[in-house]
Amino acid sequence: MFEFFTTFPVMERLSLLELKKGIDLSFRQFSRAYGDQIEAFFDPLLHFLVWFEKLLLATPWPIIILVIAVLAWFGSRSWKLVVGSAIAFMLIGYFGMWKDCMATVAIITVCTIICIAVGIPIGVVMSKSDRAQKIILPILDMMQTIPSFVYLVPILMLLGIGKVPGLIAVCIYALPPVIRLTNLGIREVDKETLEASEAYGATPLQKLTTVQIPLSLPTIFAGVNQTIMMALAMVVIASMIGVKGLGVPILRAISNQYLALGLMNGLAIVALAIIFDRITQEYGRRIQKHRDPQKK
Amino acid sequence: MFNRKSTVFALFVLTFGAYSGIANAACGNVIVAEQNWASAELMANVDKVILENGYGCEVELIPGATMPTFTSMDEKGAPDMNPEQWANAVYVPLIKAVDEGRLVIANKAPITGLGEGWWLTPGSIEKHPELKGMTAVEIMKHPEWFPYAEDPSKGAFVGCPAGWGCQLANAQLFRAFEMESKGWVLVDPGSAAGLDGSISKAAESGKTWFGYYWNPTSIVGKYDLQHVDFGVPFAGRDNWDKCITVAEQECADPKPSAWTKSEVNTIITSEFAKQGGQDIVDYIGARTYPGPVMNGMLVWMADNQAGGVDAALEFLSKHEDIWTKWVSSDVAAKVKAGL
Repeated sequence: MFEFFTTFPVMERLSLLELKKGIDLSFRQFSRAYGDQIEAFFDPLLHFLVWFEKLLLATPWPIIILVIAVLAWFGSRSWKLVVGSAIAFMLIGYFGMWKDCMATVAIITVCTIICIAVGIPIGVVMSKSDRAQKIILPILDMMQTIPSFVYLVPILMLLGIGKVPGLIAVCIYALPPVIRLTNLGIREVDKETLEASEAYGATPLQKLTTVQIPLSLPTIFAGVNQTIMMALAMVVIASMIGVKGLGVPILRAISNQYLALGLMNGLAIVALAIIFDRITQEYGRRIQKHRDPQKK
Repeated sequence: MFNRKSTVFALFVLTFGAYSGIANAACGNVIVAEQNWASAELMANVDKVILENGYGCEVELIPGATMPTFTSMDEKGAPDMNPEQWANAVYVPLIKAVDEGRLVIANKAPITGLGEGWWLTPGSIEKHPELKGMTAVEIMKHPEWFPYAEDPSKGAFVGCPAGWGCQLANAQLFRAFEMESKGWVLVDPGSAAGLDGSISKAAESGKTWFGYYWNPTSIVGKYDLQHVDFGVPFAGRDNWDKCITVAEQECADPKPSAWTKSEVNTIITSEFAKQGGQDIVDYIGARTYPGPVMNGMLVWMADNQAGGVDAALEFLSKHEDIWTKWVSSDVAAKVKAGL
């Protein structure tokens, strides 16, 4: 009698095993049947990634640093940031991490582009429909909290090891912030402003592109900033499925207790994060200033 | 070699001669490393059951991996025991630790018939029948048969995950055989999951795959991986220990060589050898898993997605004839009673 309360009624061991095996088998059959097509679908992405990484590596380093400095200037208009970024990249190169760093920059850049291209439309749909929001929100929660090792297995079975599976793993984790903040930004746009635009006869599309998105840009930008940060946080995980970059030496350092190697590459990731963060944040702030002239 | 053996033997005598009197009096708390691959999980859990039920120890399993576990045992004296220490990766420091009395090699071959090396998927041979019977040196002439996804003009050789002992060896052999100039890329699979994933992906879709793996493993059994002969003899311990297993900057000119004979040990700390007593050391010394049985267990684990705990119970109930020989009959009875 008391046994019912003290031992949890658990599914029978064999049927549980059958269930697990069944799920595995059906996924394996799925990956056998469609793996090649899915791989072919991602082929252009792979070529772009490889091309972009080769471009970064083939470009003479002074030009890369110059490009970074120019980006920093246009993003922030702050000399401190420009000089700081240039020095950080020079140090990364000087300590022999240039190649890995460029591989990481390549995958982070492509990942950010994909997340923006996929995330902003989803965010817009979410902001338009409460039902879509109800469906998408739990999915986003899952993407952000499910341990990444869990989805590495199906990705590996489907696509093997390499850049594309790594990129997908990074995107799963990094995509939610840009969706969430696009949704939030559009929902927060002033009702009266919208009414005014409606009064002038704006179509829903015009409303979206000329009022809602421009007014919510600072919030959307905060989302992009978060996406970049989370992508950088996934660099080491991505290296576990064969993505080259700063994560590989860190994995090597973890297993061999190479303190200096781990620290240097870890700090290089931190430097990248700070540079990207400050540039995008300053840029977001500058858009906001423009919208709020009285705060100048 | 004899010198080393006699040192080890002397250590055994010294350590246990003095303590055999209090053998088994109080086994106490034991920390066993459960390394993160299937055979090590199985062995750690079997040891846990036998030590707890048979010898009254309190066993705690802590996660481990070849290099970190060894370093921790060598430097800190914990965990107390590593059931499956791949010795090649730590050959020099292990001998040093044994000589200096910190560690004891309690079993020189806990699994029979194992080995590391280079393998092909059966699909590779189906696609290119010429591969059958080819040595590694001959395969190296055909990078075009193993196109690398990120640059199809090169051949992909899948090495060892970053941080594993074998990673350095594969990287140095890759250089010794001048594979880069022959058109190969050394692919770092990043992790155990990455390495297994690349094999199962290639094997399931019938693609070609050439890379590093080891036996006994469920992967070798399940996908029928074909072992590749190197085509060159083993180029001596000096080359292997001082050059192949160290980083590139420490040895610039590795010589081509076959893979060294794999040595797996069960190592324990001298502290635990004293604390546990002669009976436990005898048990560890007698505990030898025959290769085919181990392979069978590994395939069973993979098929049933069993972890170390389930696998240990399966092993102890199905292979009584094997493990009861490792222990005295009353210990065997105690273990059986506790199952």
